[in-house]
Amino acid sequence: MGTDIETLEESELSLLETLDHVLNRGLVIAGEITISVADVDLIFVGLNVLVSSVEKANEALRSREPTKR
Amino acid sequence: MSETEQKQGKDGGYTATGPEGYYVYCISERGPALEIFTTGSPPSAMEENTNLEVIAEGELASIVSRVPLSVFGEEYLDAHLSDAPWVTVRAMRHEQVVEHFARKTSVVPLRFGTIYLDKTGIKQMLADKEAQLHVILERVKGHEEWGVNVYCDRTVLLENITNLSPRLREMAATAKSALPGQSYLLQKKIEALRADESKLEIERTAKRIEERLSNLSDGVSRLRVLKVETTEHGELRSKFAFLVSKAKFEDFRDAAEELAREIESAGIRIELTGPWPAYNFASA
Repeated sequence: MGTDIETLEESELSLLETLDHVLNRGLVIAGEITISVADVDLIFVGLNVLVSSVEKANEALRSREPTKR
Repeated sequence: MSETEQKQGKDGGYTATGPEGYYVYCISERGPALEIFTTGSPPSAMEENTNLEVIAEGELASIVSRVPLSVFGEEYLDAHLSDAPWVTVRAMRHEQVVEHFARKTSVVPLRFGTIYLDKTGIKQMLADKEAQLHVILERVKGHEEWGVNVYCDRTVLLENITNLSPRLREMAATAKSALPGQSYLLQKKIEALRADESKLEIERTAKRIEERLSNLSDGVSRLRVLKVETTEHGELRSKFAFLVSKAKFEDFRDAAEELAREIESAGIRIELTGPWPAYNFASA
């Protein structure tokens, strides 16, 4: 799965796929903080909202700095 | 719980005020995790100007980063979850961290939002779940997840359904050799059945895809389609996740392409997405 910005901009469907994986799938471990992420329903993440989300996500990627130890 | 800490990033960015927790992204074997962590540059953590950390217990390690409980604590997190841009950015960061490790070693991806108050809790979890986690790690080792989305162009399918549906083909053949009156009635019936038969054809095709590609993978999961979305590819009708051995991916992909050619005339399209870390195969 590409992490460069072109791949992101290519398709909002691809962003939806990432969200679907991260928010709806994956192993659920009861951490010490209980949240109801299980109810996040992608139906309500309309494409309009996603477009602005994609832009913010791009910003986040662009401002990514190598972390220092 | 950690005490109030002041942290200044290089540009004086992030200041942690108040207690922090640990956000957990994924779990893998200790050795590979540490090696990946110390070589190359890890991606950004969930919150800016914080670093990824590795917390190990026994032969397992969790990849984590600190997060302020003023944002990620129980009372606050649910509110943020309805802020789509906030969630999206953090889900992206979560994915990038998981992928960074999944590229090089077997990883159990966690769902978004696993938070512990301190290291002890995490180590306890790794100890308690050791057996289950090893099972998952073994299962996904050397594998990637590939998504298969099945789209349908309704118009094309409806046009061709009399040829595709065995039932309608038979009725059409009968209509040809029937008397005018009967033939007319049969034609009417065929028209009325197009929509239902189209649904059946989509379901038959989805099953065919599942069977054919299951033979070339080590796991399959049929995913819920929340609503039928219409995209430029047509309507999304079914979704699958397959656990595919890296060594066998070429065969898997060839089979998907062959299937795609077979079902094209029905207006049905397959889209492969991936590779993904094995999110859909991470349950114990």
